[in-house]
Amino acid sequence: MQGFALYPFDPPGDAAALRTDLRAWLAANQPAGDVVARANCWASFDANFSRALGAAGYVGMTLPTRYGGGDRHPLERYVVIEELLAAGAPVGAHWIADRQTGPLILRYGSEEQRQRYLPGIARGELYACIGLSEPGAGSDLAAVRTSARETAEGWRINGQKIWTTGAHFSHIMLALVRTEEGSERNAGLSQLLIDLDTPGITIRPIIDMAGHHDFNEVFFDDVLVPHGALVGERGQGWKQVTAELGLERSGPERYLSSHALLVALIDAAGPAPDPALATLIGELTAEIWTLRQLSMSTAAKLAAGEDPMVEASVVKELGNAFEQDMPRRVQAIIDRDWDDGDDLARLLRALLIASPSFSLRGGTREVIRGIIARGLGLR
Amino acid sequence: MSAARDMLCDTARAVFTGASDIAPVEEAGFALLLIPEAEGGFGGDWGDVDAVLQIAGVTVPDLPVAELILADADDRLRAAATVSLMAGAMGQALALSIEHVNMRQQFGRLLGKFQAVQQSLAVMACEVRAVEAAAAALAARLDAVGRDPSAADFEIAAAKLRANRAVGVVTAVAHQVHGAIGFTEEYDLHRVTIPLMRWRGAHGNDAHWAQILGRQAAGLGGRGLWEAITARGA
Repeated sequence: MQGFALYPFDPPGDAAALRTDLRAWLAANQPAGDVVARANCWASFDANFSRALGAAGYVGMTLPTRYGGGDRHPLERYVVIEELLAAGAPVGAHWIADRQTGPLILRYGSEEQRQRYLPGIARGELYACIGLSEPGAGSDLAAVRTSARETAEGWRINGQKIWTTGAHFSHIMLALVRTEEGSERNAGLSQLLIDLDTPGITIRPIIDMAGHHDFNEVFFDDVLVPHGALVGERGQGWKQVTAELGLERSGPERYLSSHALLVALIDAAGPAPDPALATLIGELTAEIWTLRQLSMSTAAKLAAGEDPMVEASVVKELGNAFEQDMPRRVQAIIDRDWDDGDDLARLLRALLIASPSFSLRGGTREVIRGIIARGLGLR
Repeated sequence: MSAARDMLCDTARAVFTGASDIAPVEEAGFALLLIPEAEGGFGGDWGDVDAVLQIAGVTVPDLPVAELILADADDRLRAAATVSLMAGAMGQALALSIEHVNMRQQFGRLLGKFQAVQQSLAVMACEVRAVEAAAAALAARLDAVGRDPSAADFEIAAAKLRANRAVGVVTAVAHQVHGAIGFTEEYDLHRVTIPLMRWRGAHGNDAHWAQILGRQAAGLGGRGLWEAITARGA
């Protein structure tokens, strides 16, 4: 990992115009919404907004036009994503399908799968969830036990997934399952694309400590899916999933998902804050500026076809630390009671409660640091 | 990197290594780095300055290489130059730390095989990468605005502040994983950690730049800050 060079972030076409157009579109189309929904906005579900965003060409942007996409460059999508997050737009419904599942189906999926799923994803109408964690396989993902056996009729799935974000509103799940009987650890795993209305699937909510229903348990009881549900190569699931996590870890959501709090803090501070508040705003500003440079460089590297696994992990680690630190430091300096009703107090309370999850989702802090340590040549 | 910059870096490494005073650096012509070719100089840009000063931060942190290159430049450009020195020195502190934990054994294992040590070094590496990114992004901005410090005031403040804030973690972890050997005069670690401690306070400490950046951000307003950040680059 020696010699980290900043990759130039250079999207084709007129990125400034893309930004301006999207800002104008958001001004006209973003629902007023509650300020708390603007924070952590990639978990805010709004199917109407997702559909309108898709119709405007801002979902599935990088997919080829023959599958309903926009055939745009990944860095053009990056510009759009950071604008949506900075504005606190409710992108939760289509988020996973747009970020991960669509690109993965394009890369590894069959022609039939592409034609079947990608147009709906690009319209902002088809939602996806990721079936990775299981009761016995959290950070230790290679302990996955959910099995799929190939039969004459298709794949027969038995087992359980847990902590599955959005399973309750998703149409499909991209699941990591054990297709090779007797296989162990990261061998013998494959990815299956499962329609969630298939008989034998039960989805149960898990309510989080903030009182929200984001994640779920998903049970598979002798679920039969067609042979064509296999994504990519049989037995190559681990490799495919690892590539997918790179997309998950380095995006602007790692430092912009609670941007609404910084906006509210600055607006509450006014144009001439006292020295202590100016110091805090200055330090937070320096951090988001730096994180943005790291994230853009990593995105440019990904777009150039490289696999910046370690850099992506650095973005996630620093972004998570920043987003957990911010509400604590804001609380330490501003004069608000826990139950105050103004925007800043409500955002602060919501983000303090949400913040423990930031270094859990998408790989725990300890796992991420382990990946970085391996990149340093220590493991 | 361009071939010209590669050659420049090779020269810098060769000249700096073992230099005990600034004379050989002067003789090699580094004062001409930013002078236009038409005026008999090297015609370099801030990307070149960043690359040379990162090497200086590793090899000759106590020599006034930045002063030589910048001559009578604005103090804000000296702050920018210090970010590059810091990035170089931090990279060296990390490299020394990795080398040490991959060689030193305790409890029958290499230190680098202990998860506690791995996790500490991962935290340190993140800080180093952040400062390297800040130095590179600042260089890009300075080159985009003809090295006018007023047009790069936001980036200078952000980058120097971010570099200052990384010093604590970087020096602390580097020394912690080295144990007593890193605290000796004989071992090279202090050759970069003491300069890092000094540079944190040079050309604007944390409070200085945080006040400037904080007031600038507050003046822009919550939404205005985002619009300014995106308008200034990419």
